[in-house]
Amino acid sequence: MRKILIAILFLSSFTFVGCGPSEDEPTFDTSKNITVYTRDTTSGTRTGFMEGIGFPEASSSDSVLVQGFLIRDNTAILNAMTIDEYGIGYVSLSSVNATVKGLAFNGVAPTVANVLNDTYGLKRAFNWMLRAPGDYPSETVEGIVNAFIAFLGTTDGGDIINNAGAIALPSTTTWDSIKGQHPVCLTNNAAVTVRLGGSDSIQKVAEALTAAFKPKCGNFIAEHDHTGSGDAYKRTNDPAIKDTSVGKDIGFASRQFRGSELNVPESLRGRLAWDAIVAIVHKENPVSNATAEELKSIYNGTLKTWAEVLE
Amino acid sequence: MEISQQTANTRKRRFFDNLMRGVFLSAAVVSASFIFVIAGIILVEGIIPFVTDNQGVGSVDLWKFITGATWLEGVTFYSNLYGVGFIIVSTLYIALLSLLVSFPIGVLTALFIAKVAPKKLAESLRTVVEILASVPSIVFGLFGSGIILKLVYDFSNLFGYQSKGGNSILSVVLVLAIMTIPTITAISEVAIRSVDKAIEHGSLALGASVTQTNFKVVLASAKSGIFASAILGIGRALGEATAVSLVAGGRRSGFSFDILDTTSTLTSIMLEGMKETVGIDYNIRFSVGLVLMVVILLTNLVLNAIKRKVGNVHVK
Repeated sequence: MRKILIAILFLSSFTFVGCGPSEDEPTFDTSKNITVYTRDTTSGTRTGFMEGIGFPEASSSDSVLVQGFLIRDNTAILNAMTIDEYGIGYVSLSSVNATVKGLAFNGVAPTVANVLNDTYGLKRAFNWMLRAPGDYPSETVEGIVNAFIAFLGTTDGGDIINNAGAIALPSTTTWDSIKGQHPVCLTNNAAVTVRLGGSDSIQKVAEALTAAFKPKCGNFIAEHDHTGSGDAYKRTNDPAIKDTSVGKDIGFASRQFRGSELNVPESLRGRLAWDAIVAIVHKENPVSNATAEELKSIYNGTLKTWAEVLE
Repeated sequence: MEISQQTANTRKRRFFDNLMRGVFLSAAVVSASFIFVIAGIILVEGIIPFVTDNQGVGSVDLWKFITGATWLEGVTFYSNLYGVGFIIVSTLYIALLSLLVSFPIGVLTALFIAKVAPKKLAESLRTVVEILASVPSIVFGLFGSGIILKLVYDFSNLFGYQSKGGNSILSVVLVLAIMTIPTITAISEVAIRSVDKAIEHGSLALGASVTQTNFKVVLASAKSGIFASAILGIGRALGEATAVSLVAGGRRSGFSFDILDTTSTLTSIMLEGMKETVGIDYNIRFSVGLVLMVVILLTNLVLNAIKRKVGNVHVK
């Protein structure tokens, strides 16, 4: 017993050495170089950020970035901004906290409200697209799909989306209040398969949603096959593909629909969430707003010091 | 009658012995075969980038891979221009530096516990070292990213050097040193304690002071065991991924020996992005694993050769 006590005392004295009183007030020196932090090339947040600031070639290539950048993960970038006064990084809006400073993007502050009213620009839309009515493998599948889409708009679905790191659209309806409109969920659907596909960035959110919705709707089987946003339209509505083996019942896209995708009737497409990304800096940093052009210039090395950004 | 009874007993016993021998053998075969299974899988996966055209990307040039100064040129998934030369160098450099820090501290601690400290203090210190040795590496990593990064950042600021948030070779070295000290201490301490008392008494009888005896006789006699602790320590430093990747900074190009600059090790480059990648970018991490296995094997061979040269004093 005493041995353990001594051990604990020894260990804790060791820890306290590191947490001594903090040093004198740091003063921000704008002539210092900017330290650029990024996620690695496999990260969906990196893709969203680089596309958002108009630097899409950097989403999958390190060679176009400024020399001497650091590759860290989400938490490590957040942590780095509490230490490195001259750093800049980016994280998803849901993980920003008071220990760092989130930069306004093109003059709009990064808040959930500004994301939902579509003024904050550094974000991606998470959209869904359905097959035409009657074009499903069976009526049961169509019923489950419609129930699932209704579930996305409820507070229950919103909680799942928020927990998965995206920002759900505001809602006041609960699943309990609308489940009566979806009698298909009262039957046993254990033999019914619903095929979901489209954007791989949405896969995590979509899987969390189906996992939560299954027990509410007769334990249907959710088959996830996420291959990219372009396939959201192709595999649900493109006549050449939708009826092949890769056809889907619900397709997700992590961007706005465009071009021929907009020919699909509006009732068959909609939004489930936003994924917002925030450029973050140290709290002492005087910069509080950045334009897409400035962020791009920082990440490609045109702007080297904070003084150049402040000019 | 009695004789046949005896024969039956002997036969029964012999059968049981044989049976157990089979059980032991199969256990040994199973545990030993894991090394072949693991090495085989890494070999098969790791060789893919060099021998196939990686679904149209083109095969990786082995020589450029081993000597390259940039992890990946061009676009991920569409480029075969991988290189780990600078990472091999930084991995060895880091392991060496961390040993430079942890070896003296670890051995002196061991000497203190084994020879100098009063019995009760030695007992508790031994417990502390054992606890430290069993702390999972991720905890050291969190300690590193929470405290060491900040310390290194402030430390370099004192000299007017702008470090990158403390992510540096120095931070990695400190984290690895803290991790390897208990390993080195524990093994060195056993080696020091098993030095024959007669040798020690001989030294004292000849008029040497206790300190002289400890350094010149005890440590010299235990040098084989102490060297073994260094080999294990360097093994732990070379193989550590989690804690390292939390403080290394993810360097992607360029040889660098500046201890305040960012870095990558073979293990951290394998770990980063592993979970979200496919195709050549996935297989290439197994190739890095192959390189790491070769590096560890070579390091161990060299160290063992040195250890044999260093020689041995008879200990009980």
